[in-house]
Amino acid sequence: MSLSPDDDLAAAEYALGTLDPAERAVLAARRQRESDLDEAIIAWEGRLAPLAEAVPALAPPGDFLAAIESRLDGAAEANPLVVDLTKRLRRWRAGALAAGSIAAALAIGIGLRENMREATPHEFVAVLQKSADQPAFVVTVNLDSRSLTVRPVAAPPQPDKAYELWIIDPKLGAPRSLGVLNQANATAPNLSPYEPAVIESATYAVTVEPPGGSPTGQPSGAPVFVGKLIPTGP
Amino acid sequence: MDLSSKIEGQDLGALLARIASRDRAAFAALYRQTHAKLYGVVARIVSRKDLAGEILQEAYVRIWEKAADFDPAKGSPIAWMATIARNRALDEVRRVQPVAIEDMPEGFDPADEEIDPLAGRERSETLEALTRCLGALEPEKREIVLLAYYRGASRDALAKRFGRPVPTIKTWLRRSLADLRDCLSS
Repeated sequence: MSLSPDDDLAAAEYALGTLDPAERAVLAARRQRESDLDEAIIAWEGRLAPLAEAVPALAPPGDFLAAIESRLDGAAEANPLVVDLTKRLRRWRAGALAAGSIAAALAIGIGLRENMREATPHEFVAVLQKSADQPAFVVTVNLDSRSLTVRPVAAPPQPDKAYELWIIDPKLGAPRSLGVLNQANATAPNLSPYEPAVIESATYAVTVEPPGGSPTGQPSGAPVFVGKLIPTGP
Repeated sequence: MDLSSKIEGQDLGALLARIASRDRAAFAALYRQTHAKLYGVVARIVSRKDLAGEILQEAYVRIWEKAADFDPAKGSPIAWMATIARNRALDEVRRVQPVAIEDMPEGFDPADEEIDPLAGRERSETLEALTRCLGALEPEKREIVLLAYYRGASRDALAKRFGRPVPTIKTWLRRSLADLRDCLSS
């Protein structure tokens, strides 16, 4: 699959660093799910990277080696829950492929879509993860009641920080906060302001924020966990 | 020659390969050889010294985690490491407020400390190709690309510096990048 020229230049600006914070957050979330976009960003990084050779060295204010080494031990261990979830995820993805072809057929017309609404699944799930073997949160959505539940699975505890959930979609412009997540139990953010079509197509992302959530109303950094909804129905 | 200086003398690609198999001695050697270079990359983008130090540390943790992904066919080890460090720095300055071009690290006045990759004498082949393509851009457009790369300048900061509207800067950036891509592939 080839990338649109616009997306390729967005990837270029991502690599150069000139996207504004909201655009950057959207692209950071999309690249986790869109391998062609991810490859385009890596290709752009590669094109520009030789420039770094010309940067003069500069002594940092102190020796950080010991501090860095003490951080290297925090790597995630294999977690039985994670293994089980990975299996379930594979099954969900297989279901999502079939649903994708239904969705393509539905795209023909809104009227047709409305008529066929009954046949479309209303329960969705998203696994928010850093990589395929590191799921952190599971999001379930019921589109009829527009209810969303987020359960922590293997998210590393953030004692002095908060996990904040965002809904990200080109139709919404900048990422919108769905609130701070409970690190131990399920959280049920309010989805009522959002259209079902947006809820269904959006990317869900989690960032690490100060306690109480981002002070600016926008993600403070790139998402640590990201996912998209896939139907759970038959 | 003692053992540690032998380790220091190894090439960075070999060190990264050892780091991929979790070799702490190789990691320490890599840090000692490269930290000033990477700090140079980070500190030119992030103005606060404490923050720049923190980002340097995070970058090395990522290098440790991702060492197995390094592919010598795709570029030099230092370019790969600098990309990781630079991305962390960009994530930082693109958090809330874009960094202002005026808000540069102390002692880094762009007027008297301009990095000019076109002027360097020792260049790798890839930098040679890239500087040739940069040289084909109009001077102003080349300057915005370099300020964005080396100083992490945002579109807003570039718009102020060049007295142009932000959409114009965006158009310039994208055209310049597309020109670079086409030039590099020709």
